[in-house]
Amino acid sequence: ATMWTDSVMLAGLTLTAIFVSHTAGVSAPGRPRLTGCRSPEKETFTCWWEPGDDGGLPTTYALYYHLEGSETVYECPDYRTAGKNSCFFSKNNTSLWVNYNISVVATNAMGSSVSEPVDVDVVYIVQPNTPEDVRVLVVDDDPGPYLHVSWEKPLAADTQSGWITLVYQLRVKETSQDTWEEYNAGMQKGYNIFSLLSGREYAVQVRCKPDHGFWSEWTSPAYVQIPDYMLREHSMWIIVAVFAGFLLFVLTWTVNVKRSSVKHCLLPPVPGPKIRGFDPHLLKSGRSEEMFSALVTQHFPPTSSYDDLLVEYLEVYDVEKQELVLGVKNEDPLAPTRTSDNDSGRGSCDSRTLLTERYAEDGDKGGADRQLGQCVAELASPPLEEEKVEAWSTPFSPPPLHLQRQQVGGARAAYHSVLEIPCDSPCAPGSYGHQGESDISKPGGRGASTTLAEPQAQSAEYVEVQTVDHENVLLLRPLADPGGPDVDYAGEDYSKIRDVIPDNVLLLQREPSAWPCAADPGQDRGERSCPTALQELMQPCKPPGPLQQGLRLVANGYVDASAMLC
Amino acid sequence: LLVFTAACLLCLLRGSVALPLNCADESSSPVPCTSISQDKLLDRVTQHAEFIYRITEEVCNQYEELYIPYPLRGLKNQGGGTCTSMSFPNLGSKTEIQQISDMRLLHYMLILAQSWVEPLTYLQSSLKNNDHAPDTLVSQLKWVSDKLTRLEQGVVLLISMEEGGAAPPPAALQQALSEPQLGVPDSIFHEYNSLMCLKKDAHKMETLLKLLKCRQTDRLSCTL
Repeated sequence: ATMWTDSVMLAGLTLTAIFVSHTAGVSAPGRPRLTGCRSPEKETFTCWWEPGDDGGLPTTYALYYHLEGSETVYECPDYRTAGKNSCFFSKNNTSLWVNYNISVVATNAMGSSVSEPVDVDVVYIVQPNTPEDVRVLVVDDDPGPYLHVSWEKPLAADTQSGWITLVYQLRVKETSQDTWEEYNAGMQKGYNIFSLLSGREYAVQVRCKPDHGFWSEWTSPAYVQIPDYMLREHSMWIIVAVFAGFLLFVLTWTVNVKRSSVKHCLLPPVPGPKIRGFDPHLLKSGRSEEMFSALVTQHFPPTSSYDDLLVEYLEVYDVEKQELVLGVKNEDPLAPTRTSDNDSGRGSCDSRTLLTERYAEDGDKGGADRQLGQCVAELASPPLEEEKVEAWSTPFSPPPLHLQRQQVGGARAAYHSVLEIPCDSPCAPGSYGHQGESDISKPGGRGASTTLAEPQAQSAEYVEVQTVDHENVLLLRPLADPGGPDVDYAGEDYSKIRDVIPDNVLLLQREPSAWPCAADPGQDRGERSCPTALQELMQPCKPPGPLQQGLRLVANGYVDASAMLC
Repeated sequence: LLVFTAACLLCLLRGSVALPLNCADESSSPVPCTSISQDKLLDRVTQHAEFIYRITEEVCNQYEELYIPYPLRGLKNQGGGTCTSMSFPNLGSKTEIQQISDMRLLHYMLILAQSWVEPLTYLQSSLKNNDHAPDTLVSQLKWVSDKLTRLEQGVVLLISMEEGGAAPPPAALQQALSEPQLGVPDSIFHEYNSLMCLKKDAHKMETLLKLLKCRQTDRLSCTL
């Protein structure tokens, strides 16, 4: 009975103990697990394990191993070097090309448990340490700076004897970005990285791997700042752009300043109708009196006083190169200057053809006289000054004539056409004057010849008045007429004033022959050194040519005289 | 993918690696071959060893994936026995190996290479006979066998270059390796063990040759 009670009591105690222990939470440890083994240099290795449930009691762990082909079980020689839950195998305890069969046992008060065994061959578990001494240098170069990364082999790796061969890898990334750029560096311990952006910060990491094994961990990142730089091409383009912008600005400003003249150039203003002498500004001002007075002061409307009328051109037709009468050119300072000596621009009075038409129409000299008279009147318009005119010792003895010093400045070539004054046959020196006088004395008309003939196309000769010297001699110079007859003047040509007809008409005479003395305009008058000229004047004039024309003057100062004056 | 990689490697290797072995044909008595420098020969032999290891690793991985369940991978079965090289315990650490002379290392490698000629033949026939093995495995093993033969010849040449004479290998060495260790594989595990041993030995040879390379020449890869 006591034995039974003892066993019952024992069983009860055990049960109680178990019950108590369970309620307290303690048990045998759970199975640990070997997480891995690694050899950093193919000479030593370390194994790590993961403890299982410790069962609430302090648990100890032990690692046991045996080599393949041997039954001897060894315990881990070093639990400390590699840290907690690890076993470090030193060089003496490491054999290569041999499988290790390793297992871990966890033991506590309640019991023990064994992990799964693991077979390990050291040569297959090589994972080196990280490379050492990573340095990053920024190197300045031509297009832009680049990075030079350098490092050292990991400690304890024996590459020198060839025991272990390492290859390296590095990666770069901009600190703000997420993706890495990887580069394989082979077995070298330096690398250059190009084409990095200016002003950015980059991070660089390096790792290594043996020829047969695992990659090491990445080194801690090395940070580097790329300095600000401008690509040479960019700076060149920037300079070009700035320069072009500046030019554009200058151009725009110039155009803006000169916009009126640019507009004038590009869009020339269409000339509106303009009446000479009509000032639209006066019209705008609204003062009609001034406007009309302005009109009056011009040659419009034509007034009875011919003082203001223009005499611009006198045409002299050289019928036989003799006895030409020189007209005087008057210039109206207000009128536009006519430098051309062609027929264009003449008014109705100018046109010889028109006149002849008129003559044809009118038939007789009556109408022509009137026309001529009118034209002659124009000729007489220039006011005369108090200058003496050389009086020729001619039977005519013209009264002193006041000749206005014409505006024959050296710069302006004064064209003169030689008047042809009709010369009746027989033509005598005396008869002319009479004739001329008689003609001219007619009121309103003068100088008209009895016979008027169709003006033929005579070769008009133009002479150029160079100066009027102080003795009132017009010093002329013939113009070279390309189409006309040869000018056979030896030098300067002088025309003498033959007579002054009433109403201020100058009768000039041209010497019939070349003068034996060619006088320069600057010298004395020719008549002094060539007294023979006078005698020539006395000569009876040759019978006039078929042209018997009166002295005709047309408007604008052209004298269309085809008559000859002996 | 693995098969493809292995095939590519084979194609590359066939074209690139070639040992000049004309030297042996020139005369009846073994004369040091002077048509290739020792450095270059060593380079070539090392290359052979590297390739052999790579292909053997491929074969092993393929075999494991095909036939070996995961928990049993890497384990040596009882039926497989131990690898041949296990009989040389003094070749288990760097310190030990560094104490061995160049000549002895070369001798060792020669014997090692020679010891695998026969087992490789067996492996190939075993894999062919069993229809389970893919053709690539067999061809790869064939390739390994060829390269191993050439490696052996290269080592012979290197030995002849060393110390001016082809000294016969130590008797102890020869005896140890002449015993058949593996025998004809008659099971998958046997095959697997055999392949594992081959892989190990290939790795050993590669390591030893690289060590030898850095010993004999001043190479940048060693001093850097």
